Amino acid sequence: MNCTRRNFLIGGSTTLFLSGYFPKISFASMQKKNLIIISLRGGMDGLTAVPVIGDKRLKKLRRKLILEDVLNLNSDFGLHPKLEIFHKLWQTNQAAFVHATNIPYTGRSHFDGQNLMETGAHIPYKEKTGWLGRGLLASNIIGKGLAISLPMPLLLRGVPQNNNFFPSPDFVETNLIDQIYNEFKGEHNELIKSTLDTIRQRPLSMQIATDSDDRRKLALEAAKQLKDQSGPRVAVFDLDGFDTHAAQGGVDGAHADELEEVNKIVTILHENLGQAFDNTLILTLTEFGRTIKQNGGYGTEHGYGSAILMAGGLLKKSQVYTDWPGLKKKELFEGRDLNSTIDSRAVYNSAMSVCFNQDPEFLRKEVFWGDELPDLSQELFKI
Amino acid sequence: MSLKFYRRVAFGLSPNDKPDKDPLNWALNQLNTIPNLLWPGIIPTEKELRKKYGEWVYGDREVLRKKFKNDKHAYRKAKDELRIKTGERYFELNEHAIRHYQTKYSKQPVFERFWLFWGNHFAISEKDFLAEFSTGPYQREIIRPTMVKTFEEMVQSVTTSWCMIHHLDNSESFGPNSKKGMEWRETINENHARELLELHTVSPNAGYTQDDVIQLAYIMTGWAHKWDRKNLETGDIWFDQEMHQKGDKIVLGVKYKNDAKRELAKVIHDLATHPICIKFVSTKLCRHFITDEPTEDMINPVIEAWNKSNGSLIEIHKAVITQAYKHNENTHKFHPPEIWLMQLSRMFDLNIPLSSEKMNYSFSSKPNRRQRQLSWILREIGHSPYRAKQPNGWSDFEADWVSPELLLRRFWFSSVELPIHVKSGNRSHDFILACLKNNFEDHENMASLIENFRFGTLDYDLGQKYGVICNLPGVLKA
Repeated sequence: MNCTRRNFLIGGSTTLFLSGYFPKISFASMQKKNLIIISLRGGMDGLTAVPVIGDKRLKKLRRKLILEDVLNLNSDFGLHPKLEIFHKLWQTNQAAFVHATNIPYTGRSHFDGQNLMETGAHIPYKEKTGWLGRGLLASNIIGKGLAISLPMPLLLRGVPQNNNFFPSPDFVETNLIDQIYNEFKGEHNELIKSTLDTIRQRPLSMQIATDSDDRRKLALEAAKQLKDQSGPRVAVFDLDGFDTHAAQGGVDGAHADELEEVNKIVTILHENLGQAFDNTLILTLTEFGRTIKQNGGYGTEHGYGSAILMAGGLLKKSQVYTDWPGLKKKELFEGRDLNSTIDSRAVYNSAMSVCFNQDPEFLRKEVFWGDELPDLSQELFKI
Repeated sequence: MSLKFYRRVAFGLSPNDKPDKDPLNWALNQLNTIPNLLWPGIIPTEKELRKKYGEWVYGDREVLRKKFKNDKHAYRKAKDELRIKTGERYFELNEHAIRHYQTKYSKQPVFERFWLFWGNHFAISEKDFLAEFSTGPYQREIIRPTMVKTFEEMVQSVTTSWCMIHHLDNSESFGPNSKKGMEWRETINENHARELLELHTVSPNAGYTQDDVIQLAYIMTGWAHKWDRKNLETGDIWFDQEMHQKGDKIVLGVKYKNDAKRELAKVIHDLATHPICIKFVSTKLCRHFITDEPTEDMINPVIEAWNKSNGSLIEIHKAVITQAYKHNENTHKFHPPEIWLMQLSRMFDLNIPLSSEKMNYSFSSKPNRRQRQLSWILREIGHSPYRAKQPNGWSDFEADWVSPELLLRRFWFSSVELPIHVKSGNRSHDFILACLKNNFEDHENMASLIENFRFGTLDYDLGQKYGVICNLPGVLKA
């Protein structure tokens, strides 16, 4: 089937907008809810991850990149074979996708784009905090952020006392901190001082040396922390390597390898969160999608619209949620990229409102400066 | 003038260095010439290492994969042997040693700091086997010799270097109306053009459009490696007229007439002398040497020096140092892990890097643990210099370097790993006190914090002392 612009949206968000927001108070909402973001740096190709089925134009423009056997989602969309866990969870309404979506950024620079996907702003490098950090702060959830990376991602900045887990090769004696702590005086030492506070409050399991190259172990520890009722409520994973200008490949190849990494993390989280998976949302984040057309090196260039991969028990149902813009030349952004018809920040704002038990309107104002972001909680998530 | 100036613009003072009566002149005088590389061990040329790179990819891709296509284990074994034979596991370690030996012993440490800066400004991020074979020699042979020329010459040299062209895919960029483009139905790859604008010269502040990127990519088409069956992608850079987009091009409103290989030099001239480029790079220099958020009164004198000298890097560097000197007392600059490590090695005369004799390599077995040590430390403290994740290199902002784990890695290094690298003659408490006195005004306070371990001589005691000292605010920052 040849996909043209069609409306896949079922129902709208207008009713909720007008009726105001009344959070349900139930036992379920008392349970800690986890929000996990997996950053996919380099520009994840939504059309490789969640390919549209039977589009002749796509086949023509991507002669060397077409997937031979995709996993079946519905009559319009398939799933990359390396994303097995999403396919499995799809059967139980625990995986879904938002397609033809992006942050409102069309500049095609990784660095500006990644800065904006994390700050949620419009002008690169203007904001020094991340939307997730601001969302936590606005919801008064302090010290509950966990990054699975060595540096603290910009996405989580803006709320104090975040933690990260990427352990050193040996046990570190934290009593050294006590000996120098009081030397950190003055405003210019505040950041280091508050980071030392966080280290001092870490649970024992995070002080154990392990192998940080082993993503499995890192994801396992993250699952363990998130499962704990008093543990972190937010976790951020960082993957890179999605910038496949060359040898992007189809079922195998550079992009497939990266998707496999996503699959691995989600699989471990699913296996080890146990029941907590029911109260969890996992969402991916990227700076842009990639061009429809393959380039000279059988790769793709920086584009615009991409997709969000979602998993977790807080999803409403399995669906590809999209306002599909079509792939005809005139339907493409600047004649070359999949268009974005959904501001991905609306998805993240709605996800935060669900996981932090907050009014989406309130978060929209506090976190995204009141930008026009429709509430998608009812369409996408269990509320 | 406080002693921290020696760490602000260099690597602190070694036990053999003494503070100068005129620190500003001490620093300025280091910028006129290019100091020789001091490493007594082997310093292979870029071309030699590129040949090794070629042997490695050819051997793996064209020989082993075909020979062992049905035997995974035999393939893996043969591949490991090839790694050893071509030095795939070795050359990066040697490059790290060359680099750290230079920052430890150079008589022009201020020059070396600028060397590190430019290597990072024109960063080669982790891609293919560049870190293994190419990024080190690129920084030695492409960046370093141009540091006494103009910024424009540096950009020219970088843009047509094999390393950058491979890094940013320009060999895969074909003018769609060029002979090869038409024959093979190929088109441009924008990557290099975009980074030349965004990272290397004018920055997004110049307000260029997608069209500017495309037009610049057109100008750059043809600058590619000379491919042949044996060398694959490791051939020399040349200008391939048959890949070059024909016709006039317009970048940032300036028209470039169809002029084949000469188009690139013209557009680089315009970009490298663009006022927005000058401001962007001057700001970055001030950020690196003075403070995360440099002010106009720091940046403007650098811009002035730039304009007055037509982009002479010697004059630009001097202006930056003059500002760093002027603002030494009222600013604080947090140092990224590699510079911190270099400073510790110089100030406390650590056994880092390993001696050149011990770095000798036989190409018959895997590099030994000690040979791998420095590179391993750099990775563990989060700053493996040739392996930035993105072409924008390593950050100069404190916030990017302060996280619980990144700080814990520094505690780990200083208390667990560092004692292993203390020279046997330097294990006394008095030696530490003398180093502190040489480098810090508040050395007495620092000494009081390690007084409890005064009489301990075990690695553990040294670890406690260095664990405290190396992580004090005045050591993390200068």
